[in-house]
Amino acid sequence: MSSTNRNFIFAYAFLVVLPLVGLAGILKSGRRLAAPPLIDGLWSIQLDTTADDPHPCSLVSNSLLPKSISISQSGRTFVLAVPGNPQITGSGTLDGNSLHATWTAPAAAPLAGSLDPHSCSGQVVSLLASLDRPTGGGVLTGSFSAADCPSCTPVAFRAERPRNTASKEGP
Amino acid sequence: MPNLFTLVLQITVILATCRLVGSLFRKIHQPRVVGEMFAGILLGPSLLGWVAPHFSAYLFPASSLGFLNALSQVGVVIFMFLVGLGINPKELKHQSHAAVLVSHVSITAPFVLASLLALYLYPRLSDNGVSFTNFALFMGAAMSVTAFPVLARILIEREMMHTRLGTIAIACAAVDDVTGWCILAYIVVLIRAAHQSASIWITLGGILAFAAVMIYGVRFLLRGYERTFRKNGAISENGMASLILLAMISALCTERLGIHLLFGSFLMGAIMPKEPKFVRYVLDRFETVTITLLLPLFFAFTGLRTNIGLMKGPNMWFYCALIILVATGGKLGGSTIAAWLSGMQVREAAGLGTLMNTRGLMELVILNIGMDIRVISPALFSMMVLMALFTTFMTTPALELICPDYSLRATPKKKTAVPEVELQEIA
Repeated sequence: MSSTNRNFIFAYAFLVVLPLVGLAGILKSGRRLAAPPLIDGLWSIQLDTTADDPHPCSLVSNSLLPKSISISQSGRTFVLAVPGNPQITGSGTLDGNSLHATWTAPAAAPLAGSLDPHSCSGQVVSLLASLDRPTGGGVLTGSFSAADCPSCTPVAFRAERPRNTASKEGP
Repeated sequence: MPNLFTLVLQITVILATCRLVGSLFRKIHQPRVVGEMFAGILLGPSLLGWVAPHFSAYLFPASSLGFLNALSQVGVVIFMFLVGLGINPKELKHQSHAAVLVSHVSITAPFVLASLLALYLYPRLSDNGVSFTNFALFMGAAMSVTAFPVLARILIEREMMHTRLGTIAIACAAVDDVTGWCILAYIVVLIRAAHQSASIWITLGGILAFAAVMIYGVRFLLRGYERTFRKNGAISENGMASLILLAMISALCTERLGIHLLFGSFLMGAIMPKEPKFVRYVLDRFETVTITLLLPLFFAFTGLRTNIGLMKGPNMWFYCALIILVATGGKLGGSTIAAWLSGMQVREAAGLGTLMNTRGLMELVILNIGMDIRVISPALFSMMVLMALFTTFMTTPALELICPDYSLRATPKKKTAVPEVELQEIA
């Protein structure tokens, strides 16, 4: 075997074969890593408006809260959008199974006859929720609240994501 | 039904922007494709959607993007056919030791480094809907790709195609592309098989059988095109139509087999006859429409998916910088070391490393597949697009710096893996 061939074999073993062996080790050790739970997809929201509130938050009365939200997840951060309402876009973070997101409530149509004293239009709306069933379709429970709106009590909600809309569960 | 006014308006704005930005990039000695990639990002949420959200929503309403995507995918299917056509497997069989070592290291080094980086990024930029293995393999495949057409264009522009550096670079890029696509096909199969009822072995068996039929059967039938071309000096309209038809059928087969449309069109191009004049003839017929009309739509669609606004905070920019560093270190560093160990001078080896670090359009194609199969998140997609832009943009100035007068030392004209004039406009 010539020295050129021998050098080539050594270089090939060191630069190609050895890294490939290392790759197998990396893939094996990576299996132990835990990524944030999947929240990506379309969630349908059910608001809990049964509470007897003498000053119902105008977020609810003016229908400023979405009936569904679409979450686009990038690891621990996500972007939130409301289907059919491009005005509402928010962003949030995921900490364990807890979500926190904010967006600005769009201007609502004025109520006939008078100005709404409890208007939340233009205010920052906050979503606080926790993921109850991280596997499968998943269930989110939490509340919406408007910042700087003392008259507004947080509105509880429950959101479900049908299994087939969990967007990463199949192309 | 698509809103035709919106669709035609979109195409008009995209073509105008791509031509304009592409021309501006040509003025700073960059390949037009870099400018067009950049134009796509300008039209997306990163700039237009940010400064003029209402106009952006009017121009690119969400409901219209499906049609734009469909058109752009047709363009990429034809483009991949042309890329496959430009690769000559016979030439790859006769590589020198240097080319074999550099091409293999230029895949393994970025692949392994990307997998190492995946250990860090997976808990931060992915979710438990994607397994670590799929994530790491995809990152590896995406970082080890080299833009064969862009590379060919740069070599032609710098009159380096017939130098030793150019010959090795183009051969390595061809090997990288073929290997990269094989790895990516395997990853797509793995991911899709997890959600399908058919066993992965049935899928893999189907793909292997299809590849065998194409390579050992269809390839010989395709020689008829070459014979006709030699006899008549041209191919009839029916012949050209049947070529496109075959590429589409092959694309449909691979899509049906569970990989992706693009693998089929690439394979069909790769098994086409490789007589240089025939290849040039076919390229001339398809390039204009593909490059001036359909590929800009793909750049725009990629730009619409790229949202730099998702990279909020210093952490995200740190991840992006890390991705660029690892991609460049793996590809440029790995190729340079391998070339130097193979006996090249340091400057020449670094020049080869720089060329291999060109990712361009091929990277965008792979990243879009990653988004489609949801193995990468939107933020990671945006970071990888920036990496593709950065590594492609840096090639020309870095080469100017490392090998300022390389073409003057060109070796005598030598047959290369691709005919000289091929794919020059694609880049």
